[in-house]
Amino acid sequence: MNSKDARKKYVYYPGCSSQGSSKHLDESLRAIIPELGLEMEELDDWNCCGASVGNIGGGPLPTTALTGRNLAKAETQHATDVITGCAACYLNTHGANERIKADVALQNKVNESLAVADLSYEASLQVRHACEVIVNEVGIDKIKERVTQPLDGLKVAGYVGCQTVRPFANTESGGNYDTFDDPEFLDQFAEACGAEAVDFNVKTSCCGGSISVISPEKTLHLIKEILQAAEDAGADVISTPCPLCQTNVEMYQAEINKKFGTDFNLPVVFYSQLMAKAFGLDGRKDAGLHRNTVRSEKLDILVQNA
Amino acid sequence: MATPLPDSSQKYDLGFARWVYENVKGGDQLSMCMQCGACSGSCPIGTDMDHGPRKLIMMIRAGMKDTVLRSNTLWNCTSCYRCTVRCPRGIPVTSIVQGLAAKAVSLGYADEVVTSRFARSFWWSVTHFGRTDERLVTAKFYFSFGLAEGIKRGLGNLKIALDLILKGRMHLGLPHKVSDTGGLQAILEKAAEIEARDQLGEDKS
Amino acid sequence: MSDYITRTGVYLCQGCGIGDAVSVDALEQIASTELKVPICRRHDFLCSNEGRALIDADLVGGDVNQPIVAACSPRAMTDRFTFDGATAVRANLREQVAWSQPAGEEDTQMLADDNLRMAIAQATETLPASAEPEGEYSRTLLVLGAGTTGLTAALEAARTGYEVLLVEQQDHVGGWANKWSKTMPHLPPYRDPQANSTDELIAATEAEPAITILTGALVTKTEGGPGKFTVTIELGDESRTEHVGAIVVATGWRPYDAGKLSHLGYGQSTDVVTGVELEEMLGEGPLQRKSDDKPAKTVVFVQCAGSLDPDHLPYCSSVCCGVSIKQALQIIRADPGANVYILFQELRTPGTAEEFYRQAQEAGIVFIKGKVRSVSADLGLVYDDMLLGEEVSLQNPDLVVLATGMVPNSTNPHIDPAETGADQLVSDVNPNAPLPLAIRVIDNNDDKSKSEPGENTEAVNGGAAAEPVLPGGALLNLQYVQGPHIPILTDGFSDSHYLCFPYETRRTGIYTCGPVRRPMNMAEAAEDAAGAALKAIQAIEGAARGAAMHPRVGDLSFPKFGLDICTKCRRCTIECPFGAIEEDERQFPILIESRCRRCGTCMGACPVRTISFDNYSPHMVSEMIAAIEVPDEFSEKPRILIFACENDAYPALDMAGLNRYQYSAFVRIIPVRCLGSINLLWISTALEKGFDGIMLMGCKSGDDYQCHYIKGSGLAKERLSKVGETLKSLMLEEERVTLEEVSIADSGRIPEVINGFVETIEAIGFNPFKGF
Repeated sequence: MNSKDARKKYVYYPGCSSQGSSKHLDESLRAIIPELGLEMEELDDWNCCGASVGNIGGGPLPTTALTGRNLAKAETQHATDVITGCAACYLNTHGANERIKADVALQNKVNESLAVADLSYEASLQVRHACEVIVNEVGIDKIKERVTQPLDGLKVAGYVGCQTVRPFANTESGGNYDTFDDPEFLDQFAEACGAEAVDFNVKTSCCGGSISVISPEKTLHLIKEILQAAEDAGADVISTPCPLCQTNVEMYQAEINKKFGTDFNLPVVFYSQLMAKAFGLDGRKDAGLHRNTVRSEKLDILVQNA
Repeated sequence: MATPLPDSSQKYDLGFARWVYENVKGGDQLSMCMQCGACSGSCPIGTDMDHGPRKLIMMIRAGMKDTVLRSNTLWNCTSCYRCTVRCPRGIPVTSIVQGLAAKAVSLGYADEVVTSRFARSFWWSVTHFGRTDERLVTAKFYFSFGLAEGIKRGLGNLKIALDLILKGRMHLGLPHKVSDTGGLQAILEKAAEIEARDQLGEDKS
Repeated sequence: MSDYITRTGVYLCQGCGIGDAVSVDALEQIASTELKVPICRRHDFLCSNEGRALIDADLVGGDVNQPIVAACSPRAMTDRFTFDGATAVRANLREQVAWSQPAGEEDTQMLADDNLRMAIAQATETLPASAEPEGEYSRTLLVLGAGTTGLTAALEAARTGYEVLLVEQQDHVGGWANKWSKTMPHLPPYRDPQANSTDELIAATEAEPAITILTGALVTKTEGGPGKFTVTIELGDESRTEHVGAIVVATGWRPYDAGKLSHLGYGQSTDVVTGVELEEMLGEGPLQRKSDDKPAKTVVFVQCAGSLDPDHLPYCSSVCCGVSIKQALQIIRADPGANVYILFQELRTPGTAEEFYRQAQEAGIVFIKGKVRSVSADLGLVYDDMLLGEEVSLQNPDLVVLATGMVPNSTNPHIDPAETGADQLVSDVNPNAPLPLAIRVIDNNDDKSKSEPGENTEAVNGGAAAEPVLPGGALLNLQYVQGPHIPILTDGFSDSHYLCFPYETRRTGIYTCGPVRRPMNMAEAAEDAAGAALKAIQAIEGAARGAAMHPRVGDLSFPKFGLDICTKCRRCTIECPFGAIEEDERQFPILIESRCRRCGTCMGACPVRTISFDNYSPHMVSEMIAAIEVPDEFSEKPRILIFACENDAYPALDMAGLNRYQYSAFVRIIPVRCLGSINLLWISTALEKGFDGIMLMGCKSGDDYQCHYIKGSGLAKERLSKVGETLKSLMLEEERVTLEEVSIADSGRIPEVINGFVETIEAIGFNPFKGF
């Protein structure tokens, strides 16, 4: 744990969804990160990471150049680490960064592109997922220390999803912080906050990602399985680190109920929202719990401030 | 980098595998495939695919260029990366599938494909604003099918949109954008230019 | 020997749980009182120095010349219980009594009692074995064939201190390897084609003073046996006779005749070549087509060309995949723009060849799992893609390479078969082989059928005249009653056990190695050569002492024939797995001692029981059976006799005890040298004595045999099939006599096998002859 050292500054890359569907991830992360003893500063004039369809829409090099621009800007902010809470932003930015580092020819091409805007990337940065930083730099014990309002009795299904852990979670560049098939960090976060992590065997199943946005008819059954497993495990809420997972699993419940004749009403929250609550922060302003569309009694109680 | 893209007159073309090896991101790893099928077994929506990843790789080897580039497999990948992490030979299956999709778009195989439309709408937002405006990308995607279909799709998801608006999770004003849109656009144009230049260079040699 | 008097002494051990399981007092009673053995001693740990001293004292004093050690298995503590001039007979009280039966029970005691009685009977009938080798023994090795294998064998033997005569039919040494542009890697990291080092091997062999190389030489006749082979060699017009002690056969292989593969385009286009032909093209710089000298940019390798194909070679040659990978790498490295495809059915890259395979994959060579149907004259290639499940027509490549398999040179195709009795070869295939010989039917009325494999697959039994896949004459032209050839397996490779006893052939003192034994690459062949050279050296040394080869290494006993009652039935001559028995001018059997492996198959074969060893005979085993006490039917105690092969079954029984697996105490176990040595007399003796069931427990027979004497267990099975009739005529149930195949790894199965048979016997009921 490095938190006792001179405080390291992280450049924070919120990503596009922070200004739309996943505002509550952004709000809650900004609230808990200082509580965990980390300092972060927003990336200056950041742009989109390219998401999963950038390659298809714009081609490989322009997509990599998007990351190049972000990281070139971050270098000017005198940081060593870029942190992001979004799975897709992490996957694209981290992946592109590692490719640039490993391939001088690619770095040259990226820099040739950046030069038209007087930018250049020296490939000096490390791009990290917020969850990895919390596991490796903060530690579970530190989370426990910060808890003032334990989430007693709350049953949480930790739904990790895909890109937060795949393919980088157990690689050296990805911080080796968990496995990609059976990660435990999300359960540990919930337990550290005083909640009960239920046994949830689809924690890294796919919600359909952008296919769920484009052609939900192909993927609703995937989301249904996730909801079913959480309900069968007796979960009160599903907790996730991923913006698209949160939106897909939450938003499609009505349509799933219609299509499959089910009766799901399971709130889907970000782990950071739960942490903010457990740290005794404001349920709305800090935890953003009022922004979740699927509501339940337990969730409504959480929004209330003690 | 000498292998040209084979023409389409042959159903099975011995040059296609080499072309993929050399021109698709991660394709150079494709030769390591031992056809175990861990990828196809891991795919969450393999059932919606014309061909699972394993078979797609085998078709590449058999030189089935048109079948591969027209396969809906390219458009059904959810990018869950399960195939990639499970491949015992370390093949980046996901990025190969995405790379093939990008090639299918640039070679004109995918003009009508839904995902391709979505990708174009997305890229429109990126190039115009530097950021993704979920509302505008979705709208543009819906209306790419035409006005009537666009309204139908929009209405179909009206409740979701309303929910998001009510919870402050859909941005309604002017799109968020980077301050230096001009610089960003110049970067992207330059990158596209370099990519085209390299591609041309490859085909010439 | 006839004035030899056997003086037995019993030594009872009470250690390792024996004293707890049974009453040693009762055992002493049996030895001293019941069987009147003059000396009977006991010790808490007979294998201790003190215990051994007890026996030594009696031996030195002359009171005892045949000790009976009633302790652990005869397989344990062999060094402790071997004495100067005497080998102990063992009663197994530990593994097969104390460790496999409940302690203190009446049945356990009865078992121990009988084991002791049998050992005493055995000892009484045992004479010390001795050999008196006569005459001159040669210490020279003959190595036949001077390719990679033969050169290596010669070099290894010479460097070990033996003279070598290296005989090569061609006018130069080096064999096929002379042609190879490069070789498969056999050194770490096993990823790149390696420079061909055949020239160095040849130079080293030629520089070795102990090696005499004869090229352009043909062996025309071989007589004698280990230590005393007489070989006639033809060198042009000259003929010379050499005396050698052992022979290493390294005649290698030849590529399968691609002329039979016209469906794969061979002969239709000069741009369809075999892998062997490609080697020479690779040697000549950048790869060019033969037809028009244009560069070959797209090359397709067809694996298993004629292999895994019942119409051609039914087996896999295992080497061709590695060779094609090597050649493909050479092509793609010479021209990185080349497209190289390898179409395979089952890519076989054993051991380090897997690294080589990966290297090829990384280099961009395209591997496709598919079976090629046809290649046309213009190189149009059609294959069934096994993974896509569809038929694929490939555009025409520039060059097609057929990876043809290896045919063993178990015969010499340059010799007219009629001269050396090639007809005998087919009949000398393992009699229990389940596979038909790979043969082609010759139909003289329809020449077309020859060129279309797949349509003429009538088997041997079809009745039509058959042409063996191995034409040609005998390699050594052995002057043996059993014929001139070294016996082969169904696929034409020499008959030896791949794993357990490689190099051994069914002709003692003659060892095959390299691809004549099984398909293999050069590195494997070199290793094989070293192994065979060492076996040949053992044979030379053993023969000079009159000692047996594998598996009864060092045994000095050998079968003796009582010619006074011999009926000249020839069974022993014909059935000896090793051709050790010849016939004199009156057709009486003569043993060539140094060829004998001491299995006793002749003893089992002899209908008049006139063949016996000094320490193993029909009479001895009959006496052991007679020594067993068989209770009458009112005692409700059945008795089952087990003849257990000492090679696998007996060790498996011991291991069952070692693992403390318990099984029925009603069994009485007699170790035999091989199931082939079981004389049917023993079975009738046992049934007459009242045994309720008899089990023959031995090695697997058949094409995948495990029998250490190759044919022994198969012969036992065949002989046993005739016992059924005899049983029926005695109104006895056939199920009373059975044969169980047990491997050395089967100890876990022992209780099930034994108890199952006991249950079967109990269900049938007691032997009605009991008590008569």
